[in-house]
Amino acid sequence: MKPADKKAYDKDYAQAKKTGKPFFPYAIYKDTIVAGLTVVAIIILAITIRVEVGEPVNPATTDFIPRPEWYFYFAFELLKIFANQNALTPVIMATFMVPNIMIILLVVWPFIDRGPERRIWKRPFALGLTVIVTGMLCYLTWMGANSPAGVAKGSLPVSGLDEQATKGMAVYMANGCGSCHMVAGVGAPGPGPDLTNHGSTGWDQAKLIAWFKAPKAPMPSYASLPPQDLQDLAVFVGGLGTKYK
Amino acid sequence: MTTKDIGPKNPVQKGAEATIDYVDDRSGIKTGTRWFLFRNIPAGTSWFQTLGFTAMVVFGMQAITGIILAMYYVPDTKGGAYQSIEYITNEVTWGWMVRGMHKWGASVMIIVVFLHMARVFIWGAYKYPRELTWVTGSVLLLLTMFMGLTGYLLVWDQKAYWATVVAVNIFASAPILGPYIGDILRAGPEFGPATLSRFYSIHMLVIPGAIATFIGLHLYFIVRLGISEPPWSKRRLRIERDEEDARRAAAREKAKALPGSVNYPASWPVEAKEGAR
Repeated sequence: MKPADKKAYDKDYAQAKKTGKPFFPYAIYKDTIVAGLTVVAIIILAITIRVEVGEPVNPATTDFIPRPEWYFYFAFELLKIFANQNALTPVIMATFMVPNIMIILLVVWPFIDRGPERRIWKRPFALGLTVIVTGMLCYLTWMGANSPAGVAKGSLPVSGLDEQATKGMAVYMANGCGSCHMVAGVGAPGPGPDLTNHGSTGWDQAKLIAWFKAPKAPMPSYASLPPQDLQDLAVFVGGLGTKYK
Repeated sequence: MTTKDIGPKNPVQKGAEATIDYVDDRSGIKTGTRWFLFRNIPAGTSWFQTLGFTAMVVFGMQAITGIILAMYYVPDTKGGAYQSIEYITNEVTWGWMVRGMHKWGASVMIIVVFLHMARVFIWGAYKYPRELTWVTGSVLLLLTMFMGLTGYLLVWDQKAYWATVVAVNIFASAPILGPYIGDILRAGPEFGPATLSRFYSIHMLVIPGAIATFIGLHLYFIVRLGISEPPWSKRRLRIERDEEDARRAAAREKAKALPGSVNYPASWPVEAKEGAR
């Protein structure tokens, strides 16, 4: 906005205020009605759709895919979109770049769009942005709401496990690996790759353990697991598709 | 003072007035109330402009239901948290309702805040001079989202636990600062009792305090700068129509002044006349 535009706006707004009405009671009564209706809607929702008590926490098993609240579904879906990318477009896009760019854009938006025009039909870019962003959020939320929710309980449909691999599978289940990876059709289809045939990639145990300790984002580091657990897990994952099918 | 002042006042009224005057002398409360409550707003102020107030009321409702829940909730990972949620839901009088209102209130608050933001965006209300109102508002949106994230863990059931583990891992995967943020959120390298206490205090004290502060700032800006006028208020449309009429009149004058031009009827649009020429 040029100084002249600012001056014109100030003058125009002063005029609007001069010919306006007092906040109390003219705005307050509208506010009270809408806020009152909203509170009534919340009470009706609370009565008709009762909140349940879920299963108690058991850090030793994860028998389903973790689901956030619906208003985080869009972020959750974003992870999956960037899941199957190659090394040149890292998953960090979904967890770091995209959300942070959006947040920064959101906060500094008034300093980017400084034109004096306020009517939306004369701001095609802003109108397009409104439609695209709202559409994307709705679409991603809808996708998140319809993503598969269940993971098999206890164990994976893999046979031929020896003692160490069985322990490895327990470590796999206990640490929620199935929330991001799939093995023999069980587990989440993303963000992590399908591990059904991971044995055939030729990763040896040392490489696997190094990966568990310092993986590429968004996979969290499992460096805090006991060394024996990492060893067992490496045996299990390293043999998937070759020794254990 | 005036002729109407015909006798001694009712002692109660006299006392009340003296008290108000005493407080006003020291706080300026009368001026403050007048400044806040009886300021003028543009006549075209619309129903869409009630969403901000609604978000604030829902936040207030969350605070009240949250305080009630906090009276019964025990942030203990060894069964206490889960049992207290069971107790609130099944035993406490109206407990299920308070918990339901708090849970649904969170979802409704997100929706209301988003709609409020969409309204401000579509109306261009974030433009001069209200840029900082937008900045404080966008911080409030982020705080509201963070409120949802931290509150979700407190019920301490499987779904909440694992979703929060993943969410914290996502924070921790950010470059450079990520691992530190992860440790701060988890209160250490692993999820455990300290994590729940930390989330509890962040959810109950840190973020509500921040939200209250930013609501204060947001309100101060709104009252100081005035609520924006709808870009298509009756007054604005009238001004635009007058400007358009003036433009046409000027164009007509110009057309008349040109030698050899035809005198078109005044009702003809300027464009047609210019095209014909």
